[in-house]
Amino acid sequence: MDAVPPLRLRPGAWQRLRRGLFASRVDGLISIVLIGFLLAAALGLAKWALFQAQWAVISANSTLFAVGRYPLEQQWRLWLLTTLLALATGLSWGLLRAFPRSGPPVTLWPRNDRWAVAILVVLAIWRPMALQLALPIQMRWWAITGLLLLARWAAGRWGQAIPQVSRRLVPLIWPLLYLVGMVLISGGLGLVQVAPSEWGGLLLTLLMSSFAILLCFPLGVLLALGRRSELPLLRWGSVLYIEFIRGAPLITLLFLGQNILGFLLPGGMAPDRVWRAAWVLTFFAAAYVAEAVRSGLSAVPAGQLEAARSLGLPLPLALIHVVLPQALRVALPATVGQFITLLQDTTLLSLIGLLDLLGTARTVMANPEFLGKNAEVYLVLAVLFWCCCAALGLGSRALEIRLNPQAQPSR
Amino acid sequence: MIEARGVEKWYPNGFHALRGVDLSVEQGEVVVIMGPSGSGKSTFLRTFNALEDFQKGSITVDGITLSDDLRHIDAIRREVGMVFQQFNLFPHLTVLDNLTLAPVLVRKLAKAEVQRRALELLERVGIAEQAHKYPGQLSGGQQQRVAIARSLCMEPRIMLFDEPTSALDPEMVQEVLEVMQGLARDGMTMVVVTHEVRFARQVAHRVVLMDDGEVVEMAPPERFFSNPQHPRSRQFLSQIS
Ligand SMILES: Nc1ncnc2c1ncn2[C@@H]1O[C@H](COP(=O)(O)OP(=O)(O)OP(=O)(O)O)[C@@H](O)[C@H]1O
Ligand SMILES: [Mg+2]
Repeated sequence: MDAVPPLRLRPGAWQRLRRGLFASRVDGLISIVLIGFLLAAALGLAKWALFQAQWAVISANSTLFAVGRYPLEQQWRLWLLTTLLALATGLSWGLLRAFPRSGPPVTLWPRNDRWAVAILVVLAIWRPMALQLALPIQMRWWAITGLLLLARWAAGRWGQAIPQVSRRLVPLIWPLLYLVGMVLISGGLGLVQVAPSEWGGLLLTLLMSSFAILLCFPLGVLLALGRRSELPLLRWGSVLYIEFIRGAPLITLLFLGQNILGFLLPGGMAPDRVWRAAWVLTFFAAAYVAEAVRSGLSAVPAGQLEAARSLGLPLPLALIHVVLPQALRVALPATVGQFITLLQDTTLLSLIGLLDLLGTARTVMANPEFLGKNAEVYLVLAVLFWCCCAALGLGSRALEIRLNPQAQPSR
Repeated sequence: MIEARGVEKWYPNGFHALRGVDLSVEQGEVVVIMGPSGSGKSTFLRTFNALEDFQKGSITVDGITLSDDLRHIDAIRREVGMVFQQFNLFPHLTVLDNLTLAPVLVRKLAKAEVQRRALELLERVGIAEQAHKYPGQLSGGQQQRVAIARSLCMEPRIMLFDEPTSALDPEMVQEVLEVMQGLARDGMTMVVVTHEVRFARQVAHRVVLMDDGEVVEMAPPERFFSNPQHPRSRQFLSQIS
């Protein structure tokens, strides 16, 4: 009766590949055809990107794509901000990755990031030379590589050097950094003012989406709680709001916001088109986040709130310490999905005349000098958006594992 | 300690769950409530710490009269501990944090002091070595003992138990009952909904039989089990033995 489990050797990569792709004859056929297609597509793309495409449209307008018409002599402020961001990102990542709440450290991607570093460095040295970029662009490329390495260093070093107590404060870096960033970008406190109409490109896209992400989240949580409240006014108000927003296309709300937000928000909060659009994005995303959080809330058994209440916790404390931590963990993937959608929805800003990434791209493509270079521009745009979304997704995975007490990294 | 007079409750759907229930519990007394499923035992127990409201009658707990006043409700909940059938431990917190959460937040005690007391309590229920695990890593019996310790950590004057052993595998029932027995010996005022006859016989001062939202019979355990007066008690006892 003693069935000894057969001794299993860890199959090598090649065996795994073979079993995965060529398990049977039909599987093998399908695999070969698919691999053929993929190879052909990749080759075609590489050939086009390396020999046919004319990247001058990108390199000539790279500043425009990055920051719009932000004054040249003030751009050091943005570099400073980017450096701070790189440090904060590295620090947070290092903490998420290396310090789970319990158990051994969890390894997330990159499992072995030496390869990533090597590729980065090689790219940094080889790419500008191969493409014969102008010196300023080349320097920017190096700077970005430097920042990525800085983030990696921060992840490795700082995560360990920080005492347990202050580690809890690390998430607070982000709202703080946002305020610092706002000052650096828009001026004030002794810095020269730069009007929102001069922001553009990736800067505007990231600014809009991060503003909306930071604010729509608490708003969405409040709406979700309101929807389950026992007070009828609160409940019906939340339901009405959520259903109204979810029933309207974002673009109509953006146009509507340009016209009415000036009256709705207290003076000074939506002074110009850019901020009005940011608020509309926030209010729009909040309704969807509320629905994600609501599904999380309904996943928490009623007994949890009862237990908390019977221990004497007042409702707000019970929600903050018992119900929400569990609900938000369930809601996290859907919420981050919403953030990613939000990031992509910022492209609609170009339709109301703002020069976000897509808006900038359209002005560039309309320039007679760069006529017919749409493919190059759109490809770069797609890659940029992909990078941002991938970063969000990666961060959410790390957070998910971190928040799960008996964490097993799922694959 | 607990004075319930003519308590009547209708659920929002119109169901008449409690039909005028009286019960008074003295300090240090252990009262066991029995009765068939759906007779209103849980509903009645939960009115004591205002997890359920009621429409008629009055309940006074530890000198505080239950009313809609929220301050009264929070005050009562601080003095009344409750243990649930499904444990209801907080899965996202360690065992130790489960115990310390409420005392730190509600009683505003220093965390270190609460932790010391929590570890003592865990020792007392026999699971000190699990303090840093998460509830999901414990067995059912261990979880229920943690739940009892969690309630005790608030230093309540009254403990309510709603079928604390019904969700447990048979071999774990005893370890939980022993903890409860110890509590009773130390003079805790307890109201226990349970079908454990042996526990009722050994520990209870009085046994209450509920049926259909009413108290059918109330007697010391010896008389209740050997010589029940009411036909419905006899019928119930023949069903569970
Ligand atoms: N939220 C509710 N709405 C309507 N009716 C309810 C609700 N909760 C309970 N009831 C009804 O009230 C009656 C009493 O329920 P209660 O849970 O108090 O019974 P119980 O004696 O504890 O039973 P059990 O032994 O199954 O736990 C039952 O008939 C039940 O169907
Ligand atoms: Mg019950």
